[in-house]
This record gives sequence, structure tokens and C-alpha cells, in this order.
Amino acid sequence: MSVPILKQADVLIASIQAALSDRDLVELRDHFADQIGRHRSLGVVIDLTALDVLDSFATRTLESIANAARLRGANTVVVGIQPDVAFSMVQLGLSLDGIATALDLEDGLAELAKITKQRGHRRDR
Amino acid sequence: MTDHLQLSASRTLMQEMGLTDAAIERRKRIVGLEPADLERIARIKGLVTEHAEDYVTTFFDHLHGLDDARPMLASRAVVDRARQLKREHLMAMVNGDYGIAYAEQRLELGALYARMGLDTRLFLGAFHQLLRHIGSAVMKQFERAPADGFECFMALKKIAFFDIALIVDILVFERERVIRQQQEAIRELSTPVLQIRERLLLLPIIGVVDTQRARFITESLLRAIRANRARVVVMDVTGVVTIDSKVANHFLQTVAAARLMGATVIVTGLSSDVAQSLVTLGIELSTLNTVGDLQGGLEEAEQILGYRVLARDAGVASPRGAE
Repeated sequence: MSVPILKQADVLIASIQAALSDRDLVELRDHFADQIGRHRSLGVVIDLTALDVLDSFATRTLESIANAARLRGANTVVVGIQPDVAFSMVQLGLSLDGIATALDLEDGLAELAKITKQRGHRRDR
Repeated sequence: MTDHLQLSASRTLMQEMGLTDAAIERRKRIVGLEPADLERIARIKGLVTEHAEDYVTTFFDHLHGLDDARPMLASRAVVDRARQLKREHLMAMVNGDYGIAYAEQRLELGALYARMGLDTRLFLGAFHQLLRHIGSAVMKQFERAPADGFECFMALKKIAFFDIALIVDILVFERERVIRQQQEAIRELSTPVLQIRERLLLLPIIGVVDTQRARFITESLLRAIRANRARVVVMDVTGVVTIDSKVANHFLQTVAAARLMGATVIVTGLSSDVAQSLVTLGIELSTLNTVGDLQGGLEEAEQILGYRVLARDAGVASPRGAE
């Protein structure tokens, strides 16, 4: 299943609702790369609240989404990782290095606002 | 009624210890029991059953003679029960059927020994006395064919070793059960996660951290992060006396997992000794956000969360002064 990407002001939001196949993940990555350019977005939030497992390929794809987004001028925040998921990721040595994390969507948006402000390019000024 | 209860208790115990038919067969192979042994045992069956009572007395007399064993023999009822089971044991030992029912009887006796507090040394000593008496009776009967007598006795000895293995296993198992229960109790007592401000948690860690406990700490912290919507966690390790590379690694994992949930972890209370030894060991902790003591950690956390703590007097002083 493909994941819809929602645009909310300067931010793109994708909420992953079910375990994704590797192909879906790659599709999501490409989709993001495309949309960030089209909407000139400053931030990306990926919501994993509904996921109960995250494997190494998914982790790597998230990292590459974040890296690609950064190259196009957007910051990424991953939100909603569940306790069990966090625990098993750490056991597997997966840590999403260099990607900001937040508890839920609300915190994630607040975090993005903070980062964007720090970087000093709020477009509406 | 009590017999029935005890029997079902020993059956549960068998399941806990994983004693199945197959396991018992393996145990028999370990002591080298062969069909020929059963015939040999049958030849001395009468000799054992006839004097079973005497042998039981030998066993308990030996225990009575030992200072170490005396406190365990204080309860008359328990000793009577143990004697009865021992007698049944001797009868069963020469009966030729060493299946699951036989093992179950051994477990019941073993569990009783464990309750009496009879330890392996004492049991082995007394059991050896008993076997010695049976041995000399066997040798007397086979006076004219000592080689046969020896073989018969050795066949019985295989059963005896089969029994000893079971009894020792159960004594150890029962002792470990106590340890397991205590570990469980310690674990439950030892990892509180406390909310001390809105979105700020305190995780004091005290004592020895092993893999299992580290796992437990991490799990309860992650759960608390979600339940309290925490953004900052102050992890205080003042109570952890030694931190080696393994423990440090556990802490790193806890911090990484908390970060995945969007929480920042501040580690406080690394004593100077611990800090020095970590540096000497070359353990990489640079990813950790550390502050010297708990107070400093809380102040830092409050800063991250945007709190400012004011003393009441200082806060109220200026408006009053203006009046």
C-alpha cells in the first residue's frame, strides 16, 4: 500500500499505518523527494505511531529520506516510535543517527518549528 | 487427601524441571542401566524388602548422629513421613520398574528433604551408610560366589546413582527457586520512574546492573516516557558503584531507545572514581549528555523544558517594594 503525503503549510506529513514492504518504502522515499521540491517544504514529519515493528531496511530508508530532505533544504522529524519498537531497534543496533525524533505529531511539529527558526529561514518573513 | 495433593505437587515439579519419559530414559542410559541389571536386582530383592525397616533406621540413625542434621529432624511428623517415603523408596528400588512413577516418588522425597533443609552432604552421607549395609548383607548371601554378589550389588548401585542424581537435582532446583523469587522481588522494588515536573522524569538507578535488569529498566522507562509524555529524563547513577564497559553499554542503549521516542536523557551522578575508570577503560560515552550531580541535571532539564525556578521571596520582593 502506498502512503499518502499530506501538506500542512511548510511541512509534509506522512503517517505510516501498516507494515510496509520494501517496495512501498522505496516508493515513499521517491515520493518525498519529489514533493519536497514541488511544495518547497521546510520540514518533513514521518509518523510511526501505528507500527509495531521496524526492520533495518525501513530504518535505512528513513535515514535516506532524511538525508535527501536535508539536501533539499528540509528537516526531518520521526515521531511516534512505540516503546517496544524503540527497544528492539536498540537491541538490533539501529538508532536513526542524525534524525530528530519526537514523542508524537504535536511534539514533532513543535520541534520542526524550533529547528526551522534556528536555521533562520522562515519564509513568511 | 494430603497424599493426593503432594503427588500432584511433585507432578508440577516434574514439569518445571522438564522430567519427561524421554528425560528419564536418558538418565537411565547415563548410569548405564541394562536389562541384565534388572535380573541381578531381582536376585537380591528379597534381601532388601525383608530388612527394609532396618535400612531405613540405618539412614536416619546416621543423620541423628550428626550435629549438622539434628535441627532438621526436630519435627516428628516430618521425620515419620520421610521414613515412610524412604521405606517405599527401598521397596521400589528393587521392584524393577524405573519409569516416570518411580521418578515422581523420588521427587516427592527430594522435595521433602528440601523442605526439611537437608542438604546434599548430609543426604549423601546417610545414603552411603544405607548402601553399605545393603552391600554387606548382599556379600553375606553370596559368600560362595562373591563375583555374582558384587555384580548384583553394582546393579543396585546404578539405581542408587540414578536416584542420587534426581535428589541432588531437586535440592539444587529448590534452592534456585528461592533465588529466583528473590531476584523477582528485587527487580520489582528497584526501578521506579518518577515524574517530577510536567514532561520531566527522574530515573534513579541503584545497585548492580546486569543485562536482565538493564532490559527491565529500559522497558519501564520507555513505557513511562509514553505514559507521561516525557521530553527529558534525568538518569541518576549515583547509586551504581561500579560501571564497566558492559554496564556502560546498557546505559547507552537505554539512552538511544529513549531518544528514539523523542526524549532527551541527562545522565547525572557519575562519581569521580567511575569517571576516571571509564576514561581509563577508553569507553566512549561522548554521545551521553552528562552533568555532575542530580541538582545540576535537574537544572539543565528545566532549562531545556523552559522552566525557571524562582525563590518566592525574590519573586515577590520587587512589586511589594514598589508599593
